[in-house]
Amino acid sequence: MGVITEEARHWADREYPHFEMQVTTTDIARFAHATGETNPIHFDKDAAVAAGYADVVAPTLFTYVVRMHASALVPPDQLEPDGSPTADVPPLPTRRAMAGETAVVLGERVVAGDVIGVEKRLANMYEKEGRSGPLVFVEMEFTFTNQRGELVARENFTRIYR
Amino acid sequence: MTLPGVGTDAPIRVRTPSALDLFMFSASAWLLHRIHYDTPFTTEHDGHPGLLIHGPLQGVYLVQTAESWLGNAARLSTITYRHLAPAYLGDSLECGGTVTGADADGIDLELWARKPDGTVTTSGTARFAQK
Repeated sequence: MGVITEEARHWADREYPHFEMQVTTTDIARFAHATGETNPIHFDKDAAVAAGYADVVAPTLFTYVVRMHASALVPPDQLEPDGSPTADVPPLPTRRAMAGETAVVLGERVVAGDVIGVEKRLANMYEKEGRSGPLVFVEMEFTFTNQRGELVARENFTRIYR
Repeated sequence: MTLPGVGTDAPIRVRTPSALDLFMFSASAWLLHRIHYDTPFTTEHDGHPGLLIHGPLQGVYLVQTAESWLGNAARLSTITYRHLAPAYLGDSLECGGTVTGADADGIDLELWARKPDGTVTTSGTARFAQK
């Protein structure tokens, strides 16, 4: 036991830069098509307004797009050979990553024209002994707010390294 | 509209994302991980039988299973899900849900995506608030 070194803990607990994404109708349509959405409120402003929204409205879990851009919108030389951002790879001997649990609490909806900010922080980091060796759990918390400071979503995402 | 009661099942939605769907999801999110679009890398380097269906895309499928059933009557307030087994390009995912709790403010659901052989790839719980 003890694969989480001081270095790894310090790495995970560092300050993460604030990231903002100005959400366009194009961003929303791309995500909507990619996930098979057909409701016109995701593509057509008139339909969205008729449904009570200020503009074209993003599908429910759209904040995933914001947090991926926050970590992966970097120069290509800051990516690993597998495409993941180097800054997201912890200094652990257990480098193979698996997605663990995702927990999302929803707030205000995202509409075209919103500026969505995301704050990222380490929520928890711990290890367990698995059948084939140590497992390290890294839980990050993402807090998404809009340009009015309203909570859009909070997501806790756990990655497991083995 | 009254929300469905405890024990009621959502209609199963079968989702079989194509290579194009996987690429569109990666592109829309700027998700650069090669295991979702680069077949030689995924099979030869990472030892998978094929391209992986993104976990977050399956999370979206769970949400859509409930949303397309409940319509405008309710809105998602929380969801928690886990990936239990890999899903690969070509797999059909049967996405379903069951109401496990109900009160004056909304309902609780169990949601899942599973392969035709019964293997659950993603499962979760969600709370929908009455609108």
